[in-house]
Amino acid sequence: MNNNIKTTVVGSYPIKVDNSKFIQNYFSNEEIKWNSYINEAVTDMKNAGISMVSDGQTRDPFVQIFTRKLKGCRIRARTEVVDKIEYEKPITVDDQKYVKSIIPDNVGLIGVITGPFTLAKSCVDMFYRNEGNMAFDLAEALSCEAKNLQPYVDMISIDEPFFSNEMPEYGKDLIEVVTKKLTCPTRLHACGDVSAIIPNLLEMPVDILSHEFKASSNLLGEFSKYNMTKNICLGSVRSDDSRVETVDEIIVHAKKGLEIFGNKIVQLAPDCGQRMLPRSVAFEKLKNLAIAGEKING
Amino acid sequence: MFSFTKKQEVYDISGVSIGGQPGRNPTVLFGGLFFKGEPDFSKAEEHLKTMLELSQKTGNPAIPDFFIKREEYTENIIDFIETSLPKNHPFSVDVQDPEVKLKVLSLLGEKKLLSRTIYNSIHIGITEEERELLKKCTPEMAILVAFNPKDKSPDGKIEVLENGANLLDVGLLQLTKELGIKKILVDTAALAPGDNSGAAIAAIPVVKEEYGFPSGCAIHNVVEKSKWLDSFDSARKTVDASSNINISLFGGDFSIFGPIEQAAKVFPIMAWQDILVSEYTENYFGMTPSESHPRRKLLG
Repeated sequence: MNNNIKTTVVGSYPIKVDNSKFIQNYFSNEEIKWNSYINEAVTDMKNAGISMVSDGQTRDPFVQIFTRKLKGCRIRARTEVVDKIEYEKPITVDDQKYVKSIIPDNVGLIGVITGPFTLAKSCVDMFYRNEGNMAFDLAEALSCEAKNLQPYVDMISIDEPFFSNEMPEYGKDLIEVVTKKLTCPTRLHACGDVSAIIPNLLEMPVDILSHEFKASSNLLGEFSKYNMTKNICLGSVRSDDSRVETVDEIIVHAKKGLEIFGNKIVQLAPDCGQRMLPRSVAFEKLKNLAIAGEKING
Repeated sequence: MFSFTKKQEVYDISGVSIGGQPGRNPTVLFGGLFFKGEPDFSKAEEHLKTMLELSQKTGNPAIPDFFIKREEYTENIIDFIETSLPKNHPFSVDVQDPEVKLKVLSLLGEKKLLSRTIYNSIHIGITEEERELLKKCTPEMAILVAFNPKDKSPDGKIEVLENGANLLDVGLLQLTKELGIKKILVDTAALAPGDNSGAAIAAIPVVKEEYGFPSGCAIHNVVEKSKWLDSFDSARKTVDASSNINISLFGGDFSIFGPIEQAAKVFPIMAWQDILVSEYTENYFGMTPSESHPRRKLLG
């Protein structure tokens, strides 16, 4: 029995921000402070017993967090790419430094980066007229962010949900660009049914593959058809369903994974970011996940 | 020099036109009352009289902007509006406290003053109660404050108008439409020096080109917050009044110029600036000034 499985998250956590405070800050010319919202998210994760937390991605949806600060992008109804994409300055680093300062030493921290293909697919291209070229410039920019993030986090996770809809022929090259300067552990998260692209995923230059093994229950069987060369973050509670999975249910699910993949299972997590769940539900799910993790670890 | 490719909206409120291509309509000037302490109605009456005379003289429309700080001031201030302003003169109510906003809206509705009201303002802090009440007590015109705490650049201001910057369920433009408010002014949200203060001015032509809505801001707030001016004390009020020309220069339509006491400085400065803009926009773009424009009033 593996006794060192980490319980972790994919990225986002549902925290409601207080617009009335922001506007009061505006009227009274006070600085906007976001740390309290990050703190709420991280505190929930800590209190739930999660062993590797994220910053909760409270500032923005996962696309805008990055495109807001990349040169060449502007945000309208969607992000519009209006010029060559370049990295200007750190995007999430200050938030991660803050999280590091409020978590105990025995709690790990994940730096979450939205992947270049997902960003490219989410933007309106008004400059490149070529999705691949845009995606590679995004990858270069994200590579700089990942490098800047590395000293402050225990792992970098690249979020590429669009891979499950479409795996471009240059998908591996994109991830290679993002991870090339990294020495810390890396994870690729792709939610949805990824059964059709498992061979591609197994070739990705990352240490851990993270997928929604709970909602897409066929995935365990599909992955078992291949020689598992990567470690696995096992999606164990749903992110699209408010029903809170019991501890026993999570343990049964995790044991299925362990039977197939043995010690390749290194993390248990929600299937995806928890942004769309009510906060109390998100918390209960994490709590049960953490208890299940402890029981499995023995 | 500006002329916008987007069709420019011109809104009328009780005979005052706001908006349009640069050089057409004079800058509308909002002078604030009751910012500090308890409302002093006799002083307010004097200041109002002065501002309205200046408006007559220059051609720049004057909108008294009533700051209502506390609920207990509401009735008296609205009574004052009813009795002291010329019949049908438009005015704005500047209310920050969400509870006071409800009281003010209800009272304006009861007194049938909403057709003359510019509601100052709708922003990301709007509450559910305020939304519901605005549907019932709908002011003729509203100022949208394009303040985006996530991005203080002109693009950030567009974002909050467009999609609410993920802080609201919809953008401020759609929200206002849903409330039934048809005439809107965009306040480009002036911030302190060192906090992207210039973006409020830069955003004016961006908003006008993107949407065609009348735009402006309270750029004098940047002067108020410029602490370095403390060592140039005699210049502060002049700088404060002069700052407003940026709005006209960048194609804007209105200025919320701060305390009404500044009217004697602001009106001539803005009339001067509007004449300048009118001369070059007529010469270059063929934009004739409106009948009441300072260029017609003051140059004959």
